[in-house]
Amino acid sequence: MDHEAAESETLPEDNDKSSSPTILNKQHSYTSDAASSDLEGSSGLSRDQGEEEDDSYHSASEESDSSEDEVAPRNTVGDVPLEWYKEEEHIGYDISGKKIKKHARKDKIDSFLAGVDDSRNWRKIFDEYNDEEVELTKEETKLIRRLLKGKTPHAEVDPYAPYVDWFDWEDKGHPLSNAPEPKRRFIPSKWEHRKVVQYIRAIRKGWIKFDKPEEEPRYYLLWGDDSTSAESKRQGLKYIPAPKPKLAGHEESYNPPVEYIPTQEEVNSYQLIYEEDRPKFIPRRYESLRSVPAYENALKEGFDRCLDLYLCPRTMKKRINIDPESLKPRLPSRKDLKPYPSICYLEYKGHAGPVKSISVAISGQWLASGSADGTVRLWEVENARCLKVWEIGEPIKCVAWNPLPELPILAVSAGHDVLLLDTELGDEEEQHRVKELLRADSSTMDDSGIVSWIPHEKYAGIWLKHSKVVTTVDWHRKGDYFTTSRSVLLHQLSKKQTHNPFKKLRGLAVSAIFHPTRSIFFISTKNHVRVYDLLKSKLISKLETGLHEVSSIAIHPGGNNLLVGSKDGKICWFDMDLSSRPYKTLKYVILLEHLVDKNVCRTHPKDITNVAFHRSYPLFASSSEDCTAYVFHGMVYSDLNQNPLIVPLEILRGHASSSSGGVLDSKFHPRQPWLFTAGADSVIKLYCH
Amino acid sequence: MRNEGKKKEGNAARFITRNKAVKHLQVGLPLFRKLCILKGIFPREPKRKVEGNEKTYYHQKDINFLFHEPLLAKFRHIRSYKKKIKKARAKKNRELAERLIDRQPTYKLDRLVLERYPSFVDALRDLDDCLTMVHLFAALPAVNSERIQVDRIHNCRRLSHEWQAYISRTHCLRKTFISVKGIYYQAEVEGQKITWLTPHALQQVLTDDVDINIMLTFLEFYEALLGFVNFKLFHSINVKYPPILDPRLEALAADLYALCRYIDVGSRTLSETAQNSNLLEFQQPYNEKKDTRAEESEVRLAQLQYQLPANEPGALMHLMGDAKGADEEDQDTKECKSLFKSFKFFLSREVPRESLLFIIPAFGGVVSWEGDGAPFRETEEDITHQIVDRPSIGHKFLSREYIQPQWVYDCVNNRDILRTDEYLLGRDPPPHLSPFVDNEAEGYIPEYAEEIKRQIAAKKQVLPMPGLGDRDLADPGSLLAEGVIDRAEANEANEQRKKLQMLEKQYHDELNMELQGVTFSAAHSEGSLQTPAGDVDVDEGTGIELDQVDNELTLSKVSMSRSRRGLLTAIEMNKQRKEDKIRLLKERKKRAEFNRSG
Repeated sequence: MDHEAAESETLPEDNDKSSSPTILNKQHSYTSDAASSDLEGSSGLSRDQGEEEDDSYHSASEESDSSEDEVAPRNTVGDVPLEWYKEEEHIGYDISGKKIKKHARKDKIDSFLAGVDDSRNWRKIFDEYNDEEVELTKEETKLIRRLLKGKTPHAEVDPYAPYVDWFDWEDKGHPLSNAPEPKRRFIPSKWEHRKVVQYIRAIRKGWIKFDKPEEEPRYYLLWGDDSTSAESKRQGLKYIPAPKPKLAGHEESYNPPVEYIPTQEEVNSYQLIYEEDRPKFIPRRYESLRSVPAYENALKEGFDRCLDLYLCPRTMKKRINIDPESLKPRLPSRKDLKPYPSICYLEYKGHAGPVKSISVAISGQWLASGSADGTVRLWEVENARCLKVWEIGEPIKCVAWNPLPELPILAVSAGHDVLLLDTELGDEEEQHRVKELLRADSSTMDDSGIVSWIPHEKYAGIWLKHSKVVTTVDWHRKGDYFTTSRSVLLHQLSKKQTHNPFKKLRGLAVSAIFHPTRSIFFISTKNHVRVYDLLKSKLISKLETGLHEVSSIAIHPGGNNLLVGSKDGKICWFDMDLSSRPYKTLKYVILLEHLVDKNVCRTHPKDITNVAFHRSYPLFASSSEDCTAYVFHGMVYSDLNQNPLIVPLEILRGHASSSSGGVLDSKFHPRQPWLFTAGADSVIKLYCH
Repeated sequence: MRNEGKKKEGNAARFITRNKAVKHLQVGLPLFRKLCILKGIFPREPKRKVEGNEKTYYHQKDINFLFHEPLLAKFRHIRSYKKKIKKARAKKNRELAERLIDRQPTYKLDRLVLERYPSFVDALRDLDDCLTMVHLFAALPAVNSERIQVDRIHNCRRLSHEWQAYISRTHCLRKTFISVKGIYYQAEVEGQKITWLTPHALQQVLTDDVDINIMLTFLEFYEALLGFVNFKLFHSINVKYPPILDPRLEALAADLYALCRYIDVGSRTLSETAQNSNLLEFQQPYNEKKDTRAEESEVRLAQLQYQLPANEPGALMHLMGDAKGADEEDQDTKECKSLFKSFKFFLSREVPRESLLFIIPAFGGVVSWEGDGAPFRETEEDITHQIVDRPSIGHKFLSREYIQPQWVYDCVNNRDILRTDEYLLGRDPPPHLSPFVDNEAEGYIPEYAEEIKRQIAAKKQVLPMPGLGDRDLADPGSLLAEGVIDRAEANEANEQRKKLQMLEKQYHDELNMELQGVTFSAAHSEGSLQTPAGDVDVDEGTGIELDQVDNELTLSKVSMSRSRRGLLTAIEMNKQRKEDKIRLLKERKKRAEFNRSG
């Protein structure tokens, strides 16, 4: 208040001596207050100040009044809204009809500077209607100030002049009513008394207090000694402290090392990344500390942290440092499990198309292979010599040797046909028996009429004409029966007969095989493997593979374990004594780098094409479309309590990739731990230990 | 609560969804939020989400805990009280309304602070967020429309200054880092590492995508918490809290004491902002600018107070010094205390003063600044370092070094006085590295970090030099040790020499090429043609081994169970990502170097 008092002292002087700059400044502060229409604030000025002003103003105001009215407005547009001229270059027309051009507007800095330079600047007012600056005279400012205070504009006008009664009437000297004063004007009010009693009671009882309550100190020593352990226990549930925010790394520095700043291209490429994965913070460098701006997300990040603190569910999670080595299963070392095929020893070249199927004769001396170029070739295993070529004309699907050594017959499936070829191996007696066996009548039709047994025109052998496509052929262990699938048929060689016992098979059969020792028969459809007893002709069990699409099955020579390969890169090992579900599922793992590095780009790189067991060694193998063959150790113990041991041994690479698949077939040598693989690159390879 | 026939145990009984909890407590959602924030109750993750995955679950015990909270009743009371005022106003009973407004019920959070943090160490452990938030609000503008009130901002400023005064006085600041987001500080109080972020001292931006009410609720609790923590800390060094620091004032009457307190809240900010920059002065209201005698003295007093904890050896400092005996201090504190011991700093107008006034005294330096109330002037002879942040300066004193502010921060982080030549006025300072990164664990060490390490090592080796000769002769053990060092040195020197030779050779080759008339670009393209071929060779050489490793990996993966395989893949992917990042950094580094040379 003391400033204001000082103010009121200086103001009267203001009139006499025209303006020392400090006083003007102070006036400025008042008018600016008033201009912001803060009427209360300005009326807070002491009243006597206003009085003094009044006195000093009598003389000056008359002149200003007259002079202002005389000036006619420069602009003649009349009382129209100024926004009509908003877009125009002129503001209106002067009295002679010429356009009045708009002046350039001052910006804030200019007006501020003008205010600093010129002490009288505060009096200047911009007249929008005439587009010019008008400087108020001292008298005009006084006028405005009076108006703002709610007084009459001119000091000489007295609003409270004594009332003059201009008219005369009869009872002029009397009051309006002549009634006597009522009694209640002279006795104390009952209501007021009641109210006072109320207040007294309220004050006595402490309902109304006049003195402000004492302020207690806001802070005090909250934690005394921490030694009292009983009290320093937290109530309620276990407290889970919120994880601390991540500390800043080098990249958040205001001046990070060059390598942390992404290039423009990298920054642009961030736009392509999915929004949630996009880096939120892009490092950049500022030349000096003073050029670092305020961080625009400061409040937002603080808010996000708050949200995390009170909205995010918290759980205690144990984080353990796992050694990746410890995750790998403990398996016996591969050296102990030797011998197994590991090195490519021989290559059998000659086919012109992908080799679809191979088969090794039971003697281990001969290898037959069927290819998509329509030929079947007979190879000598030891020196890779091609002994014979049969040209069938249609792409070969499957070849299979008769398991009896004395009957060197080859079953070949091609298109809708199965051929039983006489390989003309073995001594004369054997040859004779084979010829005898393969002699067929011109056309012995089967009862069912599905298959016709016809002697082949070109080569010595029988031609079995099927009505449907044949994909796989499998011989019974005694060499008399063999089975073909898609539509599962049983053929008897000695009687030249065909049976169709599985007429109502659910699903499409993928392959069918005989049990190695007993009269049990396995048919695999896309999802299941069904096991039939042939003698009793009934279903024994149904194995649920859980696979997408079964591509091949193989049975352990012991007869109790079955291997199923699938087109989604999985191999299932069934222990049929154990359950109808897989004992173990192995999955092909393709390293991502492999795909990138070696340009193996195919739609299904992991399809397993074939699985095979070794007849005597505890080995099994799988071939897949990613040009690899895997060799596993698969030991089955005679002790029924011991589970089979499966150890992956080797990945055999070497086949070149081609468009029609990688490795199409793999078979073991009957006696040696050798593996033959047939590739889509028309090469057969022999891997030895 | 539990209905008949409902489960008595298990996840369904133990956890309750938010909506149900709100209904159970019979409060509105905003009040529920407020209670949760003040009480520190957070949702918990049940093992099985009985009522759906998308819902938030609270533990039933937590909700019961809220249910019995006296604050809940208090809030209800406040609400009904507000209704009374409203009613009185509506009935034009101004007298009653005013009387009611005068004695509005308030609540205190001290009990909650104690309940959430039963021991002081617990409170310190959770102080990070609190400090960051208080410092953030200390830099915010007061906005009435957003209900950010001036006195709260001032309170935040006061609390943050008190905290900083304590940290600075007890020399327990450990690390600092200037990031784009602000300045990080890490202090160690009672064995707890406390890290907080202060925004740059600039006008902060208020964005409309935040719910300021929630932040204010958090702030309410944090203010209480920090106040009590400050009290305890000041108490532990025998200083009265709230700080009234001028002993002359203390000796005088109580009204002066009250005035002083008033100044403490009100004019500290004034004095600082007035000093901070001339620009700010324009923004100040006019009535504050009037400097009458009385106010000037007040300002002086306030400054005095502000300096006291910061850099004047006043009563407070003596008190603190007494409290902290030399034997109490651990190695770290001693080291920190004596880092800038022999230096005298002067801050130029444009450097961030608040931060440096905090840091330099924390590490034992003496500091002054340009402006009113500074302890000493720029012209003082024994100033060793002047901190400037502008491209050039008019008049230079030869007796002192003109360095950029980053030098202080880098020195602090490395706990050593670094060479100043790279930080001198007008130069591009070397990169500013984060002290929070463990370079070895990260797998990539920036160049400058290595250089600093070398500098420090060199310094340490140089220091014991003078007494070398005698010791060498005296015992063979030290000789051996010396030998080891020598060998290391020799190795390093050898490498250096090799590098030099390489460079020289390259230079000569290039000269030759120039003589032969090969253009620069052609030479480079040749070089680039040659190098890939070499790379490929190397790749093939290692390719086979890699294949074997891969083989084994795939083989072992084939027979793994699915979950383990997933875990292993995740670990591998993580490793891969880390390696990728490092590779990218190295690539960028190489490119940058190439650009610089080419």
